[in-house]
Order: sequence, then C-alpha cells, then structure tokens
Amino acid sequence: MTTFILRRILVAVPTLLLISVLVFGVIQLQPGGFLENMLEDPRVSRETVENIRRQYLLDQPVWAQYLHWLGGIVRGDFGFSFLNSRPVSELIWERMGWTVFLAALTILATWVIAIPLGIYTALNRYGPTSTALNFVGYFGLATPDFLVALLLIYLVLISGGTTVGGLFSPQYIDAPWSWAKFQDMLGHLWIPLIVIGLDGTATIMRQMRANLLDVLNQDYIRTARAKGLAERVVLWKHAVRNAINPLISLAGLQLPTLISSTIIASIVLSLPTIGPFLYDSLLNKDQYVVMALLMLSAVLLMVGNLLADILLAWVDPRIRYE
Amino acid sequence: MNRRKLLKQAAFGIGTGALAPWLFSKAMAQQAGQTNVPASLFQEIGKRGGTLTLPLGSTPQSWNYFAVIDNFAYTVLNNVFDRLMQLDPVTFELVGVLAESWTISRDARTTTVKLRSGVKWSDGTPFTADDVIFTFTEVASNTNLRANQAATLTVGGVPLRFEKVDDLTFRVVSNKPYGAVLQALTFSPIMPRHKLAQFKPREDPSGYSRVWATNTDPREIVGTGPFILQSYVPDQKVTLVRNPNSWRRDPQGNPLPYFDRLEYLIIRDPNIQVAQFLAGNLDQVPVSGAQFPDLKRQEVASGKIRVLRGSTIYTSPPHWGFNFDVPNPELRELFRNLTFRRAMQFAVNRKRIIEDVYNGLASLPGHGVAPGTFWYYDTRSYLGEWSLERAAGLLDSLGLRRGADGQRRLPSGRVLEFSFTYASDSLPFSAIAAILQNDLRQIGVKLNLQGIQQGTLLATATSGNFESILMAYGDQPDPQLRKDIWQPGGQLNYWHRSVWPERGSSEPKFDQMFPWEKNIWEIFRQAEQLGDQNERKRLYDRWQLLSAQNLPVIMIVKPDAVAAGHARLGNFYARDNRIIYTNFSMFEK
Repeated sequence: MTTFILRRILVAVPTLLLISVLVFGVIQLQPGGFLENMLEDPRVSRETVENIRRQYLLDQPVWAQYLHWLGGIVRGDFGFSFLNSRPVSELIWERMGWTVFLAALTILATWVIAIPLGIYTALNRYGPTSTALNFVGYFGLATPDFLVALLLIYLVLISGGTTVGGLFSPQYIDAPWSWAKFQDMLGHLWIPLIVIGLDGTATIMRQMRANLLDVLNQDYIRTARAKGLAERVVLWKHAVRNAINPLISLAGLQLPTLISSTIIASIVLSLPTIGPFLYDSLLNKDQYVVMALLMLSAVLLMVGNLLADILLAWVDPRIRYE
Repeated sequence: MNRRKLLKQAAFGIGTGALAPWLFSKAMAQQAGQTNVPASLFQEIGKRGGTLTLPLGSTPQSWNYFAVIDNFAYTVLNNVFDRLMQLDPVTFELVGVLAESWTISRDARTTTVKLRSGVKWSDGTPFTADDVIFTFTEVASNTNLRANQAATLTVGGVPLRFEKVDDLTFRVVSNKPYGAVLQALTFSPIMPRHKLAQFKPREDPSGYSRVWATNTDPREIVGTGPFILQSYVPDQKVTLVRNPNSWRRDPQGNPLPYFDRLEYLIIRDPNIQVAQFLAGNLDQVPVSGAQFPDLKRQEVASGKIRVLRGSTIYTSPPHWGFNFDVPNPELRELFRNLTFRRAMQFAVNRKRIIEDVYNGLASLPGHGVAPGTFWYYDTRSYLGEWSLERAAGLLDSLGLRRGADGQRRLPSGRVLEFSFTYASDSLPFSAIAAILQNDLRQIGVKLNLQGIQQGTLLATATSGNFESILMAYGDQPDPQLRKDIWQPGGQLNYWHRSVWPERGSSEPKFDQMFPWEKNIWEIFRQAEQLGDQNERKRLYDRWQLLSAQNLPVIMIVKPDAVAAGHARLGNFYARDNRIIYTNFSMFEK
C-alpha cells in the first residue's frame, strides 16, 4: 500500500508540471489581459499600463514568465493578485475556511441523506413515498441552483423571515463566536445546504438506487437468501457494500468541485467562498489568481482520486494494489 | 495616448471645464445656523446613535484610493476621506468641504485656496496644506499609480504646480488659464501625508500600491471624513465607526455623523440586495425604474420603507448612435444622411419606452443638457411624435424601396439591415432594443440585436466597433464638463471618429466635419473662454438647437432618479424634485 501511494505521488509530479504548462498556456492564449482591460478605463493612460507591465515583469518573454511563476510555486509563492495588490496565497487562504466548511458540510449532508434514500427507493420501488422522493430528486437535478436559491429566499420573505442570504445576520458577522452567533448561523445555513446540496443529493440517491437494484438481481444475492441468511444481513453485508463501490470513485471527483461548483450559488446567496473570488478574477483576467486556483483544483482532483482509491481498497477486500 | 488619458472625466460623469467666472472670490456661504455642510441636507435635526447598514456590490480590492480602480472601494473610502470641495445637492454649485474659501486671480492662472481650520485626522494629527500638496503632487498626479488623476491636473502638457502659502493656504498655478481648475480639485480625496509619505509613491510606485491592502490594520487608515474603518470580514462586511475627530456640524452645532456605525454588507446579486432590504437587514438599496412600482406597492402596504423619486442632473439618458465611419460604404452614406436619421427618430416610440420600460419614471430628453436646469434649451418640439408612416415615407424618399419579402433594399440590392449594439445585462436597454427592433421590422428595416456586457459598452463605442449602438452618458451641471462628448473630435464623440485629431495633434480634422459639426465645435471653443454667463447660455442654446435639428445621435429618454430607504431613516427625503441624503446627515428616527 505504501509503495502504491508513493508511486502515485511520484506520477503526480510530472502530471502537475504538464498541467501547469497547460494552465499557463491557456491564460496566455486568451485575448487581452488584465492590463489590456485596464486600458478600457478612460482614466488609465498607456504610459501607466506600460509602467505597471514592467512592475509585474509582464514585459518579459513568455517562457521567462512561466519559469518565474513555476519557481515561485516551488517556493510557495503563487504570485500576486493585480486586482487586490496582494499575494494570491493570502487571498485564497482568507476564503479557504468557509469554503472547506461549507463544502464538507454539504458533502456530508448529501451522503448522509442520499445513501439511505437511495436504498429506500430501491427496496420500495413502486411505493408512493419512493415516487415522491424520486420526484424531488428529478426536481433537484432539473432546477438550476440559483433558481432554487431565489425560490427559497422568496418563500422566507413572504413568510416574514429575515434570513435571506449570507451566513449570519449583519450584527453577528464580525462578532466573536457565541451561542447566539452559532444559532444565528444555523438559521442561515439551511438555505445554502439545500441549494448547494440538492443537486448532489439527487444524483447520489439515484445512483445508489440504480446500483442497489443491479446488485439485488445478482446471483450471489439469491444464493445468500437461499442459504437462509437474514434479509438484514443480505442487504447490508452483501448488497449495499457492493452497490456503494462505484460511488466511492465518484466521491474522489467531488473534491475539486470545492472551488468551482458553488460559484453561482455563492454569488446569489452572498456566501464568502472561493467561488465568487474565482469569478471576479476570471472576469478581470487576474491571471495569477486564476492560475493558482486552476492548479489547486488539479491538485485536489489528484488527491481526491488517491483518497478514493485508498478508500476503495479499504472497503472492498477484493481490491489490492500490489 | 492623450485621448485615453482624457476620456476619464467624461466617462465618470465629472469633467474638465472652464469654471464659470462668477465664482471669482466666492467665499463659502455659511447658511442656516452653525452647520458647516450644506443646510439643504437637513429636513430636521437628527438624533445620535444607531447603525446604518448599506449594500456593497462586491468585495473592495484595497483601501489605497489611488492604487485601484474600484467603485466598491471608493464607496467605502468616500466616508473616510474628504475632498476639497463638492457640489451642493440642490443648487449644484461648488461648496467647500476641506476648503473654506478660494480666489482665482484675474488672469485665471493662480487659484488660492484657504483650508478649513481646526480639522484633524482621525488619529489626532492636524490637517494642513502639506497633506493637500502631498496628495496632488505625489499621488494624484503620479502616472505610475493605477487610479491617478494626472489628466485633469495637466494643462497644455504642463502639470499644475501646487505651492504651500502657509499651513492652511495653498496655491495652484498653471502656465495657461485653466477655468476647470476647481473642478479638477474636486476629483481627488485628500490623503494623510504623515501616514503615506513614508512609502514614497514617487520613487517606489509598485511598493506604494501594495500598502493599505484590505488586510491592513484599520487603525492605520486615518481620514478626515465622517467615518473611519473598524473592521473588514472578507466577502461579508465592512464596518465603519464614527470618526472621533469629525469636523462636520449640523445646524444646531451638534457633531455629525448621527450614526455611530456604518456597515456595508457585501451582496453581489441585486435581487438579494432588494430581498435583504425588504427583510429589514439593509437601510437603503439602489433601485431602478423597473423595480419602482413593486417597491412603491410595498411602501403603501407595509409602511416600512420609503421610495423616493426626483429629477436629477446626473442620470444617463440613453441615445442611439450611428457609426458615421462604418466600413460598409452604403451604410456609411446612409448613416451620414440626416433624412435617414430623422426617419429613425420617427420610429422611436418614446411614449411607450417611458411607460413600459421606465414605468413612467422618465421624461422627454434634452440634447446634452438635463431638462429643467439652467442651461437647458427646450428642444422638445424637434423630437417629433412617433410615426411609423412618416418614418416609412422618409425611407421611401431615400429610394429604399421594399422588396417582395417586405424588406427594404439598399441601392446595391442588398437588404437594408444593420446591427444594434446594446447592453444585454441592462433591463431598460434590452427592452428598448426589443421595442426598436419590432417597430423597425414593420417598416422593412432589419435591426440585428447584438447584446454585450454593460461594462464594455464604452470601449466598444470609442473603438468604433459597431454599426449602431445604444449608449448613455451622464449629464453634468455645466455643458463645458461634457465637451468631450458633444464637441466633434472629442474623446467620447464616438460616432464620428474620422474627425478625431491625429495622434499628437489637438486640432480635429475640420475638413471631415459636416458644417453643423464645425458650428458646434466653434460654439464649445468660444464658450470655454467666455466670462458672461448669459452669453455662454446663448451659445449653448444654439448648440442644443443644432443637435436637435441635425441629430448627431437620437436621444431616447431622460430617466428620473429613484431611491429606496427604510422608513426609520431621517433626513432621507425629496425636495425641489431632488433626492437628498448623505451617510453623515441621515439618522435613525
């Protein structure tokens, strides 16, 4: 197992290098850039732009810029945000806490809700509750998250509530942590959880349902039942454990969505996550921020895959990486 | 790149301009009681305390005013820093802020400004002329800083000189007469020299640009304004508190601001801003004419909010511009033809646009001047009534006959169609585009809608990359301030780019101008150098008439100003058809 992990990490290095070239190339290929955008502002003179171009070393050849950027990353310096006049890593770090918190909570809630529902709807395929759950699932898949957000906010408003958007009421945002602040957060948290999680819950629920239905028709389930095992054992020990395997690989792919999946929901709900920050940087062509976030997303994908593989080996005794 | 440099004032609704000479030796009027701010801000004497909560559309980029071009940062920082002077909200005359009085020499080359005495920075350091000199010479005119104001602080290529007379007096000296000097001084907030000079903005501009980033200790950011920064939670909230050394007083001599705290909640989505406002979490929200009826209903139903409307100089009247230099020779000839532009004006259904698009919160436009203000010349009779028959008749007279498919044909036999560029993320602009397209279809003209982002509209227009375009420039108190737009050859006179001066030259290409364009150019040249207000007005009247007759662009409508605030806000009111409020004069009832 250790050799497997080591090997994967070693393979990741050239992959990341390749990705860094791609990321840098894509940014270079886009027409215009932050400085060209600045020229659209009437108060910015060509002279000012050229001065700033020199300040940021953007007047150097492309390969030199690339090496400079790569060298920075190796030293832990992800470059400089043109927009905010601050180091990129600081800005990402400022937003990391809430991003990870919200994503982890949503993923957790998604799985805790979706897996049992998937099992339930698979076992009671034609029951009225399953039909209702499936309907909610389809609704969740089919409705864009910003629409769900606006809908929920409208419902809160007409029922006289005040928790529309954000994670806290205004007075608690910069207050120190207290029981009241925690309660206030809980009062706000359910909207983002539903908005961000509905889509994932529906996906995983339907996936779990399909997998379980597949597995329940397998010969070994019939054998297990024929052996006279209790239905509980058949279901949980034989069926569910097998049905859940494909979902674990899926979970590995969820990690990079930490950054990108909540852009629109975060903008609509005023959530302090990385999503809107990435959006601003893309619009303004703040290249070092965009490149850092793309690289981060690539690293997260690799870490996610590695974790999924390890988890798979742990869950499924048939899988060995030797 | 002089053009780029000078585009600034116009696009931001401020401008250069010969300052009307009636301001010679003008001392700040001390009106009603003991207030040292415009008395019109007060409907009643407020009471102290409470928190004012306002929305902010995005995260501020920095607290370093001249290092970023960011309206959200400016919104916050305008509470922290003061300018030398500002416009009165009712009369639109210049009144002193940090400046107490000023005199302009007879030759209009030297302006002497006396500063308000007793003003202190929020850390207790006295405010002096050194701060002003530092701000203008090292920061505002420093072309290595992103948001510099160098363009307005330069006359004929020579920068203005700022000289200290004594601790509370300074002089601005220029080589040539510069009537716009007072206007130029209103653009820059004054920065604290004792905090910022150490970062050497002249020698190390990139280092200077990095100081006062958003993670700076807020206590470092000292100002003279009504509020100072207290804390910033990224992407969530900016909190300001009353500046303990605030110099502003209300008519009874009570210190301002009334509010203890001023909070900006960072809410990107305009719908959510309105939702938060209705939920009572915000005290004010920016609204458009489209949202007005809905909010007005809420006002009547709940009584918890107030929605005000008023006319203002500054709203931007949309206009329809045709590219006189479009590459297609047939269209170019057509667009340059007055009869064609008059036909297009007959097809503009202003009544419907006012009713349907602006919910009645707009009126007929002027030609470069806001209706109802001093400089306005009534050109309404030239706007004509909406009439598709008359439009069709004029097109027929141009020989643009309809084909079997109902589409008009150009002389070459090609279908008469051209693009119409508009901001698709603006509700009113999209609606106007749809109305125009629909009406023109009925008279056999095909309008191809081309939606772009509002933020790129100005760049698209000034780069000439369009056939026809729906644009809007804000109006200003004095036509001189909008010279760049309306004087042919000006930086923002985008519809006729072939008359723009050659690079390095200041003279436009007169041989390319229409006779009426030459007239307008001459009017602006003369008015700039005139002292007599009535003489200037006569000239500007003629300019408005020429515009109404020759339609350089087709003015659509002039939107009203609307504002929504919580009913608990005092000194948030409309008077003389103006909406009046400031963060320091409002209070909680």
